[in-house]
Amino acid sequence: MANYYDALLKLCGFEDDEIKREKSRIDRAFRKLELGPEDMKKAERWVSENHDVELLGVRKLLRAWLMELIDLELAREEGKKIVYYGYPSIPGPGMAIKAAADLAGVDIYCGCPDVVLCHTLGQIFNKLSPVLEAGEQNGLPPGHGLCSLQQIRNGGLAKGIISVPDLVTGSSYYCDMGSKADELLHERYGHRAIYVDGSMDSRWGEYPDYQPERVEFLGAQLNKLFATVSEVLGVEVNTQAWDKSMDTSRALYSALGRLTRLMTADPVPVSYVEAGLALQLTAGSTGRSMTEGPQAVSILCDEVEKRVERGVGVVEKGAPTVLILIAPFSDPSVIRMIENAGLAITTGIYSVPPKKHPPTTYTTLGEIRAEREMRDGYYHSNFGIAKRVEEAVNDLKVDGVLWGYIYNCRPLAETSHTVKKWVEENTGVPVLSLEIDAYDSRNYSAAALRTRVEAFAEMLRDRKASAKA
Amino acid sequence: MKALDKLSSHLRTRLVDLRRAKEQGRKIVGYTPGGYLPEELVLACGAIPICLIRGGDHAPVELSGAYICRWIDTFCRAQIGYGVSGDDPYYGIVDLLAIPITDNHIRAISDVLDYNTNIEIFPFGVPHMKEKVAFDYYLHGITRLKARLEELTGVEITDSKLREAISLCNRERELLKEISLMRQSQPAPISGKDFVALNHGSFLADKRIMVETLESVYNELKEQSAPASEGPRILLTGSTLAMGDYRVIETVEAAGGAIVIEEFAEGIRPYWEKVKASGDVMAALADCYFTRRAPPGWFRPGKERRDFLIKLAKDFNVAGVIWYQLMYRESYKTESYYFPSLLKRETGLPMLTLESDYDQAETEQLRTRIETFIETIRR
Repeated sequence: MANYYDALLKLCGFEDDEIKREKSRIDRAFRKLELGPEDMKKAERWVSENHDVELLGVRKLLRAWLMELIDLELAREEGKKIVYYGYPSIPGPGMAIKAAADLAGVDIYCGCPDVVLCHTLGQIFNKLSPVLEAGEQNGLPPGHGLCSLQQIRNGGLAKGIISVPDLVTGSSYYCDMGSKADELLHERYGHRAIYVDGSMDSRWGEYPDYQPERVEFLGAQLNKLFATVSEVLGVEVNTQAWDKSMDTSRALYSALGRLTRLMTADPVPVSYVEAGLALQLTAGSTGRSMTEGPQAVSILCDEVEKRVERGVGVVEKGAPTVLILIAPFSDPSVIRMIENAGLAITTGIYSVPPKKHPPTTYTTLGEIRAEREMRDGYYHSNFGIAKRVEEAVNDLKVDGVLWGYIYNCRPLAETSHTVKKWVEENTGVPVLSLEIDAYDSRNYSAAALRTRVEAFAEMLRDRKASAKA
Repeated sequence: MKALDKLSSHLRTRLVDLRRAKEQGRKIVGYTPGGYLPEELVLACGAIPICLIRGGDHAPVELSGAYICRWIDTFCRAQIGYGVSGDDPYYGIVDLLAIPITDNHIRAISDVLDYNTNIEIFPFGVPHMKEKVAFDYYLHGITRLKARLEELTGVEITDSKLREAISLCNRERELLKEISLMRQSQPAPISGKDFVALNHGSFLADKRIMVETLESVYNELKEQSAPASEGPRILLTGSTLAMGDYRVIETVEAAGGAIVIEEFAEGIRPYWEKVKASGDVMAALADCYFTRRAPPGWFRPGKERRDFLIKLAKDFNVAGVIWYQLMYRESYKTESYYFPSLLKRETGLPMLTLESDYDQAETEQLRTRIETFIETIRR
């Protein structure tokens, strides 16, 4: 007998036998999420309108996100220990915790639930608002510039659609909001919260230099996290676990690297909406991103490669290319609007291939990771971000930058004017500073942003034509 | 109060005095409020510490809009406005602006002024947790500052100079504490507005004159006869209480309330603890300024501060708490949600939460809410 969700799941890359096999889990997860037949119909329409579902790779990516959602929903009742980390988090520790648990044979769910809900309840079901509203009603009210991701996590817990974790962790220095929201939830639910502290106290202009004490401090905090994981979960995050996590993630990062290179083709072969689905897998998941992510991204790359060979693109050939900050997690409409304005999004700043660094002299896992943070710039300082944007503009030779800073993310809101000014002064490339919310589509309207983006696109086209002439 | 008049008179000519001192070769070191800048280091090298504490006016907040988006704390945007426009003469006079980086809002001041003005900025980190490694990091920061101050002034900061400065600053803290403790009596012998004026004065005044003023105030208060009665006693707490941002205090007092104790992350000089004279002097500074003080709302977990607030509420026998925060300071906004239930459970006291963007349009709404709150707790 057909299930009410069959059509949607098939649209999202599920096979018949898989739906049959997973039926019980899907039923329970969707019940918990209060997703019924009407929601499926709406989702089918939403997905068809907003995602390039003619590409199997896109469908497989949507499937990977949905499977991650189901895993998240059922984690507690399936007897897993649960660890939540924050976004943006220092990359790596979540993967290492998962790898350590796998090595020890401990079944855990380790992920960023708010990012998962954005990419599923937002991108697929367009039904994130009730969760956001629950978050607003439970301590993170609207109108105060509070982080929508934290509202989603808060709302998810308040509505009971995600489980209370055994442990949460997040950056306590890059973002004040995440840690404070963790504390709010700790006060309410009593779970263990580990704040990974540090200090972003570099002067403007200091990057790439930094005080070595910053690495020692942050490194010690990361080591503290690993020690707490050992205490709470009974698994040891050691070099072996770290290496395993690196091995596991290599396939995904390799596929993502290939996708990033393909995105520089002219015309840009696929919407950045779909690239975002792939690139953000690492931000939300340590499970399905690793088991199914590499294959989904590889399938997408094969298809995109064919488009490149055929000269097929989502914007006209020769369209001005732009670098963006980040693709909105829950709503494809802003990216679509930018592309409809004739701008080719080649990459987001966090997807720019990482810098090559000299070998480390640090010996502990925490310090090695902390040093990497300093060197990469994004968690070094606002100037570090500005320099990385400048470098990306020069390396990728883009025609413009759409700096869609997230207004309720303080570390990014701080860059609203400085990145624009710095990059324009130092590269000559125009920057449009655009205020968005990457997680809550109620806080902006793509149509309202359109006028500014269209004017910017027009200006870039003129500049490009003038340069040619 | 005669001593307060004398302090006002000193502050009126303070800028002229500072300019004169600067012409004579003394260095002026500005810093942002928050209580993490050991003034002793500045005094020990012969420089003059000035806390940039002005606020309450919406005009510089608007000015900041050309340099940063609006989603940053109001006081911090005001500092950006003052700094880039030169509208606050204290910004124009500093040779170095030391910025203890406590959270992203303060970091915004550091980066925007560093990038857009010629002011030399010296940021150093204030961790958010009281752990050994955090203490070490803070100590490292103030040690770097010490080196920069020595370079700036050409004066070596010796232990003996530092101990002398510590003694002076300890006396200031001690007097502020003693005067504050006097307010445990009912009625309180000094109004909230006057106590805040004293505390704010200490951010700008010459340290010796300030200590003399506090001694005079202390003696005056001991000798004066107590006021006949007072209205409901209030604990005023929140993120920032800037010099010039007196709307809430004035409205509370006009409505018949008595602010008898304040606790703010920024704008009230911490005075409960003194620097210990024994042992390593720099470590002793870090011990007092970082470890033994009640932490602000951006520390996590925030239990120590919340417990401290509850203790203050009990010790000063207040009838209610007013939580006054500025817009977009997320740490305080988040805490303001769950602190009232904790307060209620521990003390039975009600709490009123107020927010401001330094906008005059808020005044009447604030008045209505404050008057209603005072009326409610009066019963």
